[in-house]
Amino acid sequence: MTVLLARTAGRLYWGARYVERAEDTARIVRAYNDLVVDYPSDELLRWEPLAVVAGSEVVIDVPANDPAGEFTVLRHLLADRSAGSSIASSVAAARENFRTTREVMPREAWQAINQLSQYVDATASGAVDRQLRDRFLLRVVEISRRLDGILESTMTRSEPYQIIRLGRLVERADMTTRVLGVAAAGILSLESVDRTDLVNDEVRWMSVLRSVSALQMYQRATRGPIDAMAVVRFLLEYGAFPRSVQGCFDEIRRVACELPSPSVVLDALAEAQTALAAARPGGEGGAELDRSMEAVQRAIVSLGDVICRRYVDVVM
Amino acid sequence: MDELIADDGTPRPLGAALMRLIESIGHDELTERQRRAELDILMMGITFTVYSDGQNIDRAWPFDIIPRVIDGREWDGISAGLAQRLRALNMFIDDLYNEQQIVSDGVFPAELLEASVNFRPQLRGVRPKHGVWAHISGTDLVRDDDGQMYVLEDNLRVPSGVSYVIENRGVVKRAFAELFERQRIRPVDAYTDELNRLLASIAPDGLHEPQIAVLTPGIFNSAYFEHSFLAERMGAELVEGADLVVGDDDCVYMKTIDGLERVHVIYRRIDDLFLDPEVFRPDSMLGVPGLIRAWKAGNVGLANAPGAGVADDKVVYAWMPDIIRYYLGEEPAIPNVPTYRTMYDDERRYVIDHIGELVVKPANESGGYGILIGDRATRAELDEAIEVIEADPRNWVAQPILSLSTVPTLVDEGIEPRHVDLRPFVLTSDRSYVTPGGLTRVALTKGSLIVNSSQGGGSKDTWIVDGRYGRSPLDQTLDQPVGQRQASAGSGQEQSQGTGA
Repeated sequence: MTVLLARTAGRLYWGARYVERAEDTARIVRAYNDLVVDYPSDELLRWEPLAVVAGSEVVIDVPANDPAGEFTVLRHLLADRSAGSSIASSVAAARENFRTTREVMPREAWQAINQLSQYVDATASGAVDRQLRDRFLLRVVEISRRLDGILESTMTRSEPYQIIRLGRLVERADMTTRVLGVAAAGILSLESVDRTDLVNDEVRWMSVLRSVSALQMYQRATRGPIDAMAVVRFLLEYGAFPRSVQGCFDEIRRVACELPSPSVVLDALAEAQTALAAARPGGEGGAELDRSMEAVQRAIVSLGDVICRRYVDVVM
Repeated sequence: MDELIADDGTPRPLGAALMRLIESIGHDELTERQRRAELDILMMGITFTVYSDGQNIDRAWPFDIIPRVIDGREWDGISAGLAQRLRALNMFIDDLYNEQQIVSDGVFPAELLEASVNFRPQLRGVRPKHGVWAHISGTDLVRDDDGQMYVLEDNLRVPSGVSYVIENRGVVKRAFAELFERQRIRPVDAYTDELNRLLASIAPDGLHEPQIAVLTPGIFNSAYFEHSFLAERMGAELVEGADLVVGDDDCVYMKTIDGLERVHVIYRRIDDLFLDPEVFRPDSMLGVPGLIRAWKAGNVGLANAPGAGVADDKVVYAWMPDIIRYYLGEEPAIPNVPTYRTMYDDERRYVIDHIGELVVKPANESGGYGILIGDRATRAELDEAIEVIEADPRNWVAQPILSLSTVPTLVDEGIEPRHVDLRPFVLTSDRSYVTPGGLTRVALTKGSLIVNSSQGGGSKDTWIVDGRYGRSPLDQTLDQPVGQRQASAGSGQEQSQGTGA
């Protein structure tokens, strides 16, 4: 007999979302950092859009001595504990949640979370430095992956495990749509300048793929060049890739079926699936993609709400 | 007196192996091991919560790497004495809530019971299983200059610290692995199994696999780490008051993602008065309305039983020798510290006349606050204490100032003696279990007697060592390179110096 308290379910769900958020933010920042390095040096690539992908809701004030916004945005995304979207605050929130669920998780898993938190506390503010940042970001991704590995290989496939999976998957799907949404917005903002050049900008789309660690898998799956439409389709629809939106949805369905009375969750998932099917990456440059991503994101948010209502804020 | 080092500066036989190892590895290596142990504590997330500047801070557990060593034969006596003490205490509590025979026999004064703030008249007539109310107790012991261990106080409500006993051992095992190979040090991690067994034994009748829950006040409680640790180790649920509900059938349920699930036993770590707003403090947000109803109906086991705190009052403490004699017809196996009861005119007069030589303690506070140590107080502080005692004589007791024993401790200046106490944990049901050793708390400040972790105290692993631990050929192998140890260990001549008592 296993039981899972509704309160504990909420803590697990949010703990998992925050760890995933920290990991995904680290991936996105790494990819952007790569892009900046690869970019022709006569063009100034601004960093603010990155903060938008990572879900920052504040307007970042960039001082004159930081023209690209690089250090300001990175400080905000990596180390700023007052910014809800930063890696530092996501990791702190993950730890606070998991600190109350130690009895349902393998001990090693708690230690991995704790280690992540110790590491980020000690290193995040220094990691803005160009020499240190990649190492920091990679380490955040690695510890988060290790946590998943520990759970995957040592945790009973009972309700707590499935709830953690749900949190991971919902957050991951959300992040992938954000990456695409902002890529679209980037295309839109630059459209007026020289559209044809930018749509074909391979470097930029490679970076989009990298930010969800999909470049290599994309190339193997499509065996083709980096093409804007193909990239968008891959990240939305290619269910065999686990970080694609479709891949996350398929997994959410499998996980939900392992939980008691999941019908409301499956209904919300069906709606999100409809929004995904309606997403039209083609036409009108970035505008339509941008709109579609918003619709998919809204569907994912309400899927998250339904999960909480069903398993966390249960009325008894 | 120092427990490991004799007055002439040489190690006592008890501590010889340990002190020789420490000497042989050198100060730098010892400091390095301490640093690694602290890192382990940080990485394992072994914490306690302190309330400071309006915030609850989750702090790493303060810990000293040099263990405290106690002889196994001495410990067996202490252990039997603790079991005896808890048997008597439980008979006493059960008697107070039922016939009150000890009062009618004139052994325990009726006015004390009437004045007790921890007696819960609402609970009279309840008979918990095994007649046990204080299932889990943490009894504080101190060793005086004469080498004798005394009981300093009984903690029968929600004593904490046992998780650190187990975690400290894990850390020290890594730090001094070489000694665990060579000595017979009693393991400590059976505790959670014993606790689990005890909790299962107080489930409603006829249940094979009762659902057990640890009830915590929540993450801001200083002992939250422990609540979580115990739930984890027992495979129990960790619940807060809001997770539980008492149904119309007077049964306790917890709110799961699949609806309500019955709970059969609750190890509660919430104080009595907050446990059930229907019976105690109506403003409690931490408790569960109806919990006492469910308990009285026999539908849920509670440990410790509400009301058990009536017997850990420092005034009742003064009667303990009589209580043990009354119920068991035995002499106490571990002595009490002589205790003056300020409620009696003659004893109060003595206390006031000798206040500079006494420790004055409130009868009902815990955590080390409000304690006055006579020979360290100013005249003004002493006068203030006298005033407070005269205003409320039942609430105070006084004891001679003990010279707490010391144990070598790693501090900035090197290795120095620091004062320690000891909190073993005792489980009582139809049988008794005493932790081998317990939590040694150490006052890290030179000369200080305050060992509480909330006030700058640290902790040490406590070793109960059996058999031969003196300077034997086995220990001399420490001086040899690793590869040679195995060979000589087997062929060593017995030349034990005896284990002493």
